[in-house]
Amino acid sequence: MAANTDNNKKGLPLDKVIQAIPEGITDAAEGADPLRELISQISTRKIPVNSLTRLWALGSMQAKVAVGYLAYAMRSSFSNKTEKQKRLNEAHLKAALKLLGTMGYLRGAVMKIGQLLSNMPHVVPDEISETLERLQFEAPPMHYSLIREVFLDEFGQEPSEIFASFDKKAFAAASLGQVHRATLNSGEEVAVKIQYPSMASTIRSDIANLKKILLPMKLKKESRYIFGHLSDVETVLVGETDYLEEARFMIKAREFFDPEDEIVVPKVWEEYSTDRVLTTDFLTGKHAADFLKTNPEQSSRDHFGILISRAILRIWGRAKTLYADPNPGNFLFLDDNRLGLLDFGCCRTLSTVEWKFQVQAETSLLNGDHEIMNRLIASATLFKGPEEMEPERLELMINLSKWQAEPAMKPGVFNFGDREYYQRGIDLYMEATRKGYIRNNSIYIWWTRLIFGHRTLLYRLGSKIDYHQIYMDERNY
Amino acid sequence: MRITKEAKKKTEYKILRAAEKLFTKEGYKETTTRRIAVEAGIAAGTLFNYFPSKETLAMSLLAEKLALGREDFTRRLTSEESLSEDLFLLITSELRRLRPFRSFVAPVLETTMSPFPKENSCPAGQDSRAAHLDMVQKIIHNHGLSNIPEHISTTLYWSLYLGILAFWSSDTSRNQEETLALVDYSINVFTRTISDTSL
Repeated sequence: MAANTDNNKKGLPLDKVIQAIPEGITDAAEGADPLRELISQISTRKIPVNSLTRLWALGSMQAKVAVGYLAYAMRSSFSNKTEKQKRLNEAHLKAALKLLGTMGYLRGAVMKIGQLLSNMPHVVPDEISETLERLQFEAPPMHYSLIREVFLDEFGQEPSEIFASFDKKAFAAASLGQVHRATLNSGEEVAVKIQYPSMASTIRSDIANLKKILLPMKLKKESRYIFGHLSDVETVLVGETDYLEEARFMIKAREFFDPEDEIVVPKVWEEYSTDRVLTTDFLTGKHAADFLKTNPEQSSRDHFGILISRAILRIWGRAKTLYADPNPGNFLFLDDNRLGLLDFGCCRTLSTVEWKFQVQAETSLLNGDHEIMNRLIASATLFKGPEEMEPERLELMINLSKWQAEPAMKPGVFNFGDREYYQRGIDLYMEATRKGYIRNNSIYIWWTRLIFGHRTLLYRLGSKIDYHQIYMDERNY
Repeated sequence: MRITKEAKKKTEYKILRAAEKLFTKEGYKETTTRRIAVEAGIAAGTLFNYFPSKETLAMSLLAEKLALGREDFTRRLTSEESLSEDLFLLITSELRRLRPFRSFVAPVLETTMSPFPKENSCPAGQDSRAAHLDMVQKIIHNHGLSNIPEHISTTLYWSLYLGILAFWSSDTSRNQEETLALVDYSINVFTRTISDTSL
């Protein structure tokens, strides 16, 4: 295996991504494992350093993570085949990965999907989560001339005509765009999130390409479900391009929190917002990594663990919505000990049917009603009943549900920094992926993302909190 | 009777304004040269003394707008722009001026600014091309970045530029935002190519 030493010097742990790919068959004709060789090739691409091409480097890093995940999932689905079938599948896989590598150089969904997949712990070992987190913060270089054109289209005026001051350089990357700091004529400091042009159509076309890439998988019964998942991903991501929708949700969410909650949703400045530009109050504080660098007291780690949990559960309970992008960049630890919630682009609201189902599931878990629980698990994984499921699958799904629910079910202080608990979750998900158990309702993509995002953040904070109590306070049924 | 230079310019201006009004109001295809002449208050035959065809008249109108776009570009420069930003701003400033005429840009440019040599080329189209490319070369020289011969960079640039115009003319996305992304991407590709020292 040829890992990219240049990249490693720069701290990009590509070898870790490659290591995450399981050993596969060896293609005798090429004298090496073609999959590993290909991923190495992609990873040894020259990483451009100037400002013109930084985004492409970022995109390709995300693409590599996506490659790692897809290779893992696809290879798992090729087990138990004849050698001939395996070679054919490897050829498909190789072609697919080549195309995926190219797509990584485009702005858009692949980068976003790479980010999304990077939250999956079986792709991202503990050691590289920090690097990915850093990548999520890096501002893609949408230069100021482009910003000016977007403003002319959105407001008929340039930023300098609208704001008293406007920083030409972005201070953060955001969902599908970047954020600039500005001052209103009335003196307020604001954060202006600007979307890269044409993201919705890029997302649609990239997802269409991904579906083509994954087409060979469609032959396997279990893998068909990934297509439904991709459609759900497309709906949520395209929804994320409508900043006005996000603004409406932020205005609603802001009302969920009172000052004593110490949770802040920034005020939206509607007159400076459109569906491509979102202007909100500017909050100052630290993200998780910088907060941890200050070596905070346990009480402070617990305090923010409580606020993060309460924020997520309140949005869940009040708006019946999953705050589906709980990456550390979306939480700001304010200097006055309050928590800022920054990004509401990626939210998935449950339908009435989905909500009723979830309430039933949580109630049966709380009551220890195994019969109802098994029935609901079967339904969530699209089986008619538990008797239709292989016992091994049913058991794994039960264990996963229990792992997810454990902090909420256990009265008293729960130690989220407990390595054993966190690792157990990773192991369960890895096992589910290895066995190809991806058959479930698409809502669980977001559910999993939320749970793992929350557990990872609190694991890193090492929070020891009474999650059960917060859950009981916030459950709205 | 001798027509003074000034009177000639005045008539040309009247024809261009009449054409602008009718093309945007009634459509390019629907507007005849006769109708333009009536609107401008001149005899139908007189119009052809100024513009030999409807296409050359339309191209003159577009050339006028492209020149205004280049003026906008010069005015908007802050001297802080990179090469990519300069080129991006030049193209988008021109496109913004062309926007009201987007529906007929494609057929007019196809006949008047085609990269393929033609016997009866349109002087307005050729002048406009020369003025645009002159501006591009000035920008490149100002940044001192080109590592490839000028005639090659010009040809590369012009093919990208015409591709952008073609795409923009039929771009149905909101505010032609797909074109904005295309310009950004294309200009990045171009500037990377001409500044690549390994070529």
